[in-house]
Parts: sequence; structure tokens; C-alpha cells
Amino acid sequence: MELKTIHCFLAQPSKGEETQPTIGGAAVPKKGPLFTMLKGVFDKAESECRIDISFNHNANGEQQNDCRDLLIAYITSHKVAVGRSIGVRLQSVTTQKSGLGLFFLMAGSEGQRAKLVLSRFPADQGILAEQKRNSLSVEFLEKVFMKSATAYKSAVYEGRITPSDFWTGRAVDKQINLPGDHVANYWIRDFLASDFTTTPAAGTKRLAVALRAAMSLTSDSEAKAQLAAAVTLASSVAGTVTSVNDFCTRFGFSPETFEAVRKVMKHENLMAEHFQFDVAEFIRHIAFRSIELSNGGILTADASKFSDVFRQESVNDAEKTVRFTTEGKIVDQRLRKVKV
Amino acid sequence: MSSLIDAYYKRHETFLQIIAEKLEFHLKECFSSSPRIDRICARAKSVDRFLQKALKQEDGKRKYSDPLNQIYDQIGARIVTFYASDVPIIAAEVRKYFHPVENQVLVPESENEFGYVGEHFVLLLPTDVIAGIADNGEGGRFFELQIKTLFQHAWAEAEHDLGYKTTAPLTSLQKRKMAFTAAQAWGADQIFDELFREIQTTKS
Repeated sequence: MELKTIHCFLAQPSKGEETQPTIGGAAVPKKGPLFTMLKGVFDKAESECRIDISFNHNANGEQQNDCRDLLIAYITSHKVAVGRSIGVRLQSVTTQKSGLGLFFLMAGSEGQRAKLVLSRFPADQGILAEQKRNSLSVEFLEKVFMKSATAYKSAVYEGRITPSDFWTGRAVDKQINLPGDHVANYWIRDFLASDFTTTPAAGTKRLAVALRAAMSLTSDSEAKAQLAAAVTLASSVAGTVTSVNDFCTRFGFSPETFEAVRKVMKHENLMAEHFQFDVAEFIRHIAFRSIELSNGGILTADASKFSDVFRQESVNDAEKTVRFTTEGKIVDQRLRKVKV
Repeated sequence: MSSLIDAYYKRHETFLQIIAEKLEFHLKECFSSSPRIDRICARAKSVDRFLQKALKQEDGKRKYSDPLNQIYDQIGARIVTFYASDVPIIAAEVRKYFHPVENQVLVPESENEFGYVGEHFVLLLPTDVIAGIADNGEGGRFFELQIKTLFQHAWAEAEHDLGYKTTAPLTSLQKRKMAFTAAQAWGADQIFDELFREIQTTKS
């Protein structure tokens, strides 16, 4: 889609301030190295923004969202004055911790379809070094705006130019997993008034159900061991933004284990969808881990504490026989009709 | 007009019906452990009913300028619970697993009126349901979910059927009869809910 307009604004941190500082805005000419760099951001936005997001309804539960209204107004007008309102909105949620940022709005269209990319480049300090014939010139730069690998934020929306579209988009936020609600919520929740399209409970349930199904279906003992280890350690990813792919990678799944999980997913696309990991939801779906031995013994314990409850040692490596030991008081006994 | 019918008919046959079936299955999976649910169902809005809604007038002009993209209940789902106090519990679960773009608790405007009640959501179709099925229309990205008690459900179904069958506006007596049935359903919900809570308290 052709990039038609770029506006940029210097967004200052002014969260909670009654009077918002005046925000300057300028159109970026459609030529030169800055345009080339921003065109790259615009063109690659879909692949760079990997989190599916959706606007929230307003406080009255109505199908209306202030941020979405501003974005639609900008998409339909391409006017710097409307863009400035979006910049003011960004300023009004920016704290000193997030700091000064250079904010770009990049809009394109093709027939009845439009695309809007919002990008925030955080301010940093830098040094300009230039090699001259016989010397090196260095200069301190106080405000350098960088597409930082650790603090860059962007969002992309694409849809038909109609008031009913643009409810969903995609975002990237390199600070989303940082501790502290403000930093993590600043871009998607506070500024864009949105949330993940897949809720924490829905995404976590999908992952838990897939791990459980993969464990039942695979006959590969190595895959079973990896799945069990991941379940035991899953609470370490509490609150972080992840996907089924990310989770499997994080816990070092082999290609075979990865495949076992992929096989039980309803669709390949679900592997990549991002969500916030919800430990309580995970435990709801994988509360217990069981091991069945060749002698008929079945050991069951809380999934996250299984390794603490049962100590495992190898008896004969060649025959793969193991011994489990545990110690405790008998608090209950059960008889079951079927093996669970 | 015929292009609108054709477009909706095509979407209905190639997308909405398939999605409605998958959605019903998904909703049943999500709420299978919730107690006191009578039924969970999902349906694609029929071509006739879509057209009737698309042509709706408001203040002397068409309510929808782009009905294919503005009507968000092309897929409708309903969860029917036993008691009124179950509705907010189910609604909280809905918010937990789905992304709403609208959430309204419907109650008649005046204390002297009885009629359509329930908790309604417009929700994004989850990827679990739409993954791999292509449709580029905005109206096809959402579904309407209603949570109703058995009595609210029974009343709404009959009211909808009668409203759909009639060509002339209801007479004053017919309106009164309709309001009477709504009041009866409301009363039954109140009493059943009170009984349910009393018995629960006694048990515990």
C-alpha cells in the first residue's frame, strides 16, 4: 500500500498535568533518507507488530472508543491538526519514566482500503563520530530519537475506509514484559485504549489444553519429559506476554516435542498468537501430573510440585528403570472405577 | 437491494453458517464446567431477518448505511441459564475469555414497563473459531452473545416470533398482553431466584 502522509510530533511526558504542553507537528517530506527509513517501518509494520490488539468499548459499555475515533478521523483526513490530537493523547499518558518521544503517524491508502502506522521513537543520548582524513571528530548529542531495540513501540491498523472498521490492529511494545504496570500498560492499554485480542485466560487455557493433549498423544518419552518439565516451571512466565511458539522455545522443546504440540492445535495460526500468561488459569487446566510405571504404580501430585514430592533416581540406565521415593503422612485414600 | 441480498446470501452460505457451528462448539467448550446452564446455541442470521434489519428506518432514514459491515449480530449466540443470579456470573466468564466491543445490560426504561431484558455483548470472534476461514467483512468479525434466563429466553423467542409474523402494528390490547407475559416471566425469574438462593443458604 502506498505511503501517502507522514506527520511527526514531539510528545513530552505530561501524564496527570492539567494543561498539556503545546505539541508541535510537522509533515515529513516524501523524499530523503528519513522518508526512506520511515517507509521501511511502514512497509514492515505487519511483520514487526506481532501482538493482535483490539479497541475496548467505552466506560458505558457502548461500541465507542476515544482513541479509535481519533485514528479514524486521521485516516479519513490526513490532517496535521487531527494528528496533533493523537499526539496530545500520547503526551497525556506519558510519564517521566517513559520520557520524551518522537511520534510518527504514517498513513497510506489504496482504493477503499487504508493503513495507519503509529510509531514512537524514544529519546536517548548519543555520540556522533565522524572519521576525517587524519582525525576523528566526536560530538555529544543530547536528544537522539532511536528505533530502540528495548523501548520501541508501534501499532498498525488496516481496513476499509468506513466508520465501522478499524476495531482490530497489531502492536509491538519492546517494554511490555518490564516490571511495573505503568511501563507495561503505557502503549497498548493507556494510549491505544486497547487490549490483547486474545485474553490472558483464553490464551493460557489454549496453551494448557494443548500441552495436556500433546502429553496424552505422544508416545515419545523424551517429549513427555520436556512437556512435564515445562508444566512444572510454567509459573516462571507468570504475567509475561508470550505465545505457544514462544513458550515452547523458552522451555527448549525439541523439534519432536514442538511437533507434538503443533499437532494438537486447531490451527497453525494459534501457535503465534500472543497473550499474557495467567498462572491461575494454567493451574485450572493442568492441576496434576501423573506418572505410570511398568509395574502398575501410578504417582500423582500437584503439577508444579511433582519433582519436590517425588524424588526420582535411575536404577538401571540400560533398562530405563527408575525408583521414586516420597515421604509424608497418609491423609486420604481413594478407590477409582477407571484409571485417571 | 438484490446486490445486498446476494452479498449476504454468499456470506451466509460460505462463512457465517460454518462459523456459527464452530462458535457453538467453542462456547460449549468454554462453559462446559459452568453450573446451571440450560443450553448454548449459535446461529447465522437468516437472509430474511438480515434484510429486515438492514432496511430498518430511524428518524425517517435508513439506520444502516453499510449493513453488511455495520450489523454485528450476523452471528448470534445465546447462553441460557436457570436463574437470574447466574447471569452476572456467566457474564464475568465471558469477559474473561472474549474481547467485548459492546456490553449492555438491557432493562426496560421505566419501572412500570416489562419487556426485553438480558445481558448482551458484541464480541470479537476468537481466532480458535475463525483461523483458516477467510472473510474480509467487518460484520463477519463479531458476534452477538446474549445471556438469558430460561424465562427471559422463552419470552424473547415468542415475542420475536410474533413480531416477525405480524405485518400491522400491534393493537393496544395486544401490547398489553405482551407486557403481561413479560411481567409474568420477570416475576417467575424473581421467585425462582429467591427460592434458589434460599435453598442454597439452607444447604450450606
